[in-house]
Formats: sequence, structure tokens, C-alpha cells
Amino acid sequence: MANAWKIARKSNAQLPLVIVIALAIVLVLLGKAQSGLFDKARVHITDMMAPLLQTARAPVAGFDRWMGSVTEIFSVYEQNLKLKEENARLRQWRNVAVVLQGRVTRYQTLLHAVPDPKMNAVLARVIGRANRPFLQTMILDAGRQHHALPGQAVMDARGMIGRIYLTGARTSWVILLTDINSRIPVTISASAGNNGNVQAMMTGDNSAYPVLNMVSHTVVLHDGDQVTSSGDGGLLPSGLPIGTVVSDGAGGWHVALLADAGASQDVEILNFSTPPEIPPAAAQLPMEAAGLKPQPLQPPVSTVPAPVIAAPAPPRPVAPKPVAAAPDAAVPAEEDLDR
Amino acid sequence: MVSLERASSAPRLRFLAALVPLLCGLICVFIANIPVSLLAGLVPSPLLALVPVYFWCLVRPDLMTPAAALVIGFAEDLMSGGPPGVWTLAFVLTYALVARQRDSFAGLSGLAAVLGFAGACAFACAVAWITVASLAFLTPGLHLPPLAPIVGELVMTVLFYVPTALVVGWVHHKMVGASRGDI
Repeated sequence: MANAWKIARKSNAQLPLVIVIALAIVLVLLGKAQSGLFDKARVHITDMMAPLLQTARAPVAGFDRWMGSVTEIFSVYEQNLKLKEENARLRQWRNVAVVLQGRVTRYQTLLHAVPDPKMNAVLARVIGRANRPFLQTMILDAGRQHHALPGQAVMDARGMIGRIYLTGARTSWVILLTDINSRIPVTISASAGNNGNVQAMMTGDNSAYPVLNMVSHTVVLHDGDQVTSSGDGGLLPSGLPIGTVVSDGAGGWHVALLADAGASQDVEILNFSTPPEIPPAAAQLPMEAAGLKPQPLQPPVSTVPAPVIAAPAPPRPVAPKPVAAAPDAAVPAEEDLDR
Repeated sequence: MVSLERASSAPRLRFLAALVPLLCGLICVFIANIPVSLLAGLVPSPLLALVPVYFWCLVRPDLMTPAAALVIGFAEDLMSGGPPGVWTLAFVLTYALVARQRDSFAGLSGLAAVLGFAGACAFACAVAWITVASLAFLTPGLHLPPLAPIVGELVMTVLFYVPTALVVGWVHHKMVGASRGDI
């Protein structure tokens, strides 16, 4: 092939190579500092491509399903037996769950418990998937017009797939749980040996099994422990099913995801927003409820909070009253503690 | 069939012929980044746009300029969704490498030509990985990117090199032609 090439010896480049390399480095740094500019361009391109992607999706989706099922052909019989057994077991658990749900509802009514926040969901169709070295994503055909917003959780019928990180007018980009940039606070359900739920951070590493980080060394996990979203930070609702714990054999823990992002065709975008917490009325405070008379509140002497006194903060121009009042207020409290 | 450049001396057609390498690069970016997975996401999509950059950097560097490599790399960045600027830098540095070693690369033929492209592609992937790793190093809490996906991208790109180079070569012979000095 090379023998047929007529090689030009000289390049009349308009821009010298050194300047172009410098421009490329500036782009990298600009992308780090102002990634929003690039993101806007990306969603505009995706919005423009959405009709094309939807047209191309149908034949490719069929091919995808066929490719995905090729490896399962040889184990259909064993899988069928396993599924029948699992189905019978799940029916028993369903009955238990229905009974417990009714009991929980009764307890919530008796205790006037704060109801769980309501969630709306937008049904969206997967119109594209991209598996690049530095990004694993999927594109949905729902955008700002359908009230999809960055940060919202994306679920399929089995569990959580990822979170939306870019929204255009008609399309959204989803960062998968397996992506290296994905971090989700999770709760690992109590199992034998644990006194309570274990909090951890699930981090994607571009493999099929995200890593569980920040697990205390004193905690003992077991294969099969349930992993759900913890809801910490208020971005995601708590209790979304994510997967089960698996060991890597070297002391590390991973999560086998319930959802299959490679095969999902229709997904739900959860519109979750934590309702503002309403302070309880005075009659519902614990001391009132216990029949104790609350102490009269001292009039506020200053708007400066007490910790400011002890903190090594820069001196403020007006501070004599709080400095004098705070130690007096602290003495009875210490005495009460001693008693 | 003669090329556009040879068919007419009209400046407009010559201008169009000069745009062909850049347009081919952008079309390859578009094709490679259509987010439709044929293999259920098992393998990454190839870096098709590197083929026209490599090809015309060797045979017509007057048409595939460093600026054109910059534009194609930038388009790859925009479409691929990764960290901005990574492929731009990788394409431009690979262009610089190929331009510097043009005689060595252009003298290869057959399997050696494929290996030559594989070397250039490995350099591009290494630059991209090191750039992302540097960005991760600068950002607290970010991990180093794994090596397996970038190796998969390298393998896929080399596998797609021969068919893509055949198409690009056909476009070159039909629409661009040899350098003006050789006509």
C-alpha cells in the first residue's frame, strides 16, 4: 500500500505544530475548568441526533438482543429449573411482604409517622449506548421538556442503572453505576454478624462490578448482602435496589448489580425531591409530651452563636456581651452534668 | 477516473478537494460515536478518525494539517463524551509523531503497515490515558483510569484499520489525488 503512495515532503501548514499542541493543552485545561461549555455543546449535538438515533435503534436493538442471548442458549434448561425454583420461593416472600406492608402501614398511622416522600417517574426509552474508555453512558429520549433533571436516578425493572448527568431539551445522558466517575452512597443491609446497616460508598471502575469503598475494617460483609441507596446527601431516595455484595477474594468487596444496563430498553427517571422538614409544634416536643414543664427560654443576648467565643476566629468589633454571658450560661449546665 | 484536483483547475473544486481529508475525519468521528452498540457494550468503539489523520498525514500533509488534526480531535472529544480536550491532545501529538517519522511510516507495507498504524494508535491511546490520569491526579477523590478499556479501544481500532484505510485510500484516489508537485 505504501508503495502506491506519493509522499509529499513538505507541509504548508497554516498553523505551526507547536502552536496547535499548545492550543490542545489549553483545551484540556479549559475543559477541566469550564466543562459546562463542552457539556452544552454535547447535549445540543445529541438533541439534533435524537431522530436519527431513534430510527437506527430498532434494528440494532434486535441485533443486541440476539447477541445477548447467544451465550444463554446452551444453559436454557438449567436456567429454567432455577427460575421455577426461585419463582416459588419469591411467591412465599411476596405473601410475607404483603402482610408486613399492612403492619407497617398500621404502625405508621398509629405513630403519625412522616410519610415517605412521593416520587414521580418519567418513562424513557434508551436510544443510544456508548462504551468509551473514559465514559460508560446511555442516552435517553427524555429531556428538560419531560422534566428530567441532572442528578435524578434512572431505574429499570430490576434496579438502579445510574444517574442523569446532562440534559438537553429532548435527550438525557446517563452516567452508569459502572462508570469510573460514578459514586453513590449506599446502605448494605444487616446480615449475620452485623448489628445494623453498613454505610459505604459505591464507586464505579469501568468493570461490571463497582467497588465498595469506605467500609470500616471492623465490619464483616457477606456475599449476597443487599445493597440499596442510602439517600445520604438528599440527591437520591433511600432504599433503591442496587445489587448484592460479592467478594473479590483479596479482601475487597464489589457489588453485583441487579440492573443490566446493556440490555435495558425502557427505563424510569425518578423525580425525587426531599420535602422541606417542618419543625414540630411545641405540644409535640418530647418534654411536653412527657408532661414536663419546659424551661423558659432566655432572651437572646446576641446574634453571635456561642461557639464563636471558643473558636479562634478573628476578633469582632462588638463582642463584650456574648463573651460575658456565655460562661455564665455554661456553668449550670456543667453542674447539672456533675450531679 | 481522475481526481477532483486533476479534473479541473477551477479553484472551487480544488478547495473542495482540499477539504476532503478534514471532512473524512469528521465523518469517521460521527460514525464511530453514534451511540448505538452492536455488541451490547462488550467492546469499545474504535477510533476511526485516527485512520484518515494517519493516512493523509503521510500522503498529503499539505491537506491534513495540524489544525485539521486539532479540529478532528476536538470533534472526537465533543462526540465521545469523555473529559474535554483529551483526544484533541492525543490526535495532535500523534500527528506530530507521524509527521516527524514520516519516511519510516510511509515505507511500510503489508502487515508492517498495520503494525505501523498500531504503533501510532498505541501512542494516541497512551497520551489519552496519561492525560486522563493526570486530570484524575489533580482532582481529589478520583481514581486512575483502568487500562483494560483503553487497550480494548486500541485493539478495536487496529482491527478496523484495514477496512477503513481501504475506504480512505479509495476516497484519496478518486477525489484528492497525489500532491500538486507530483501531478
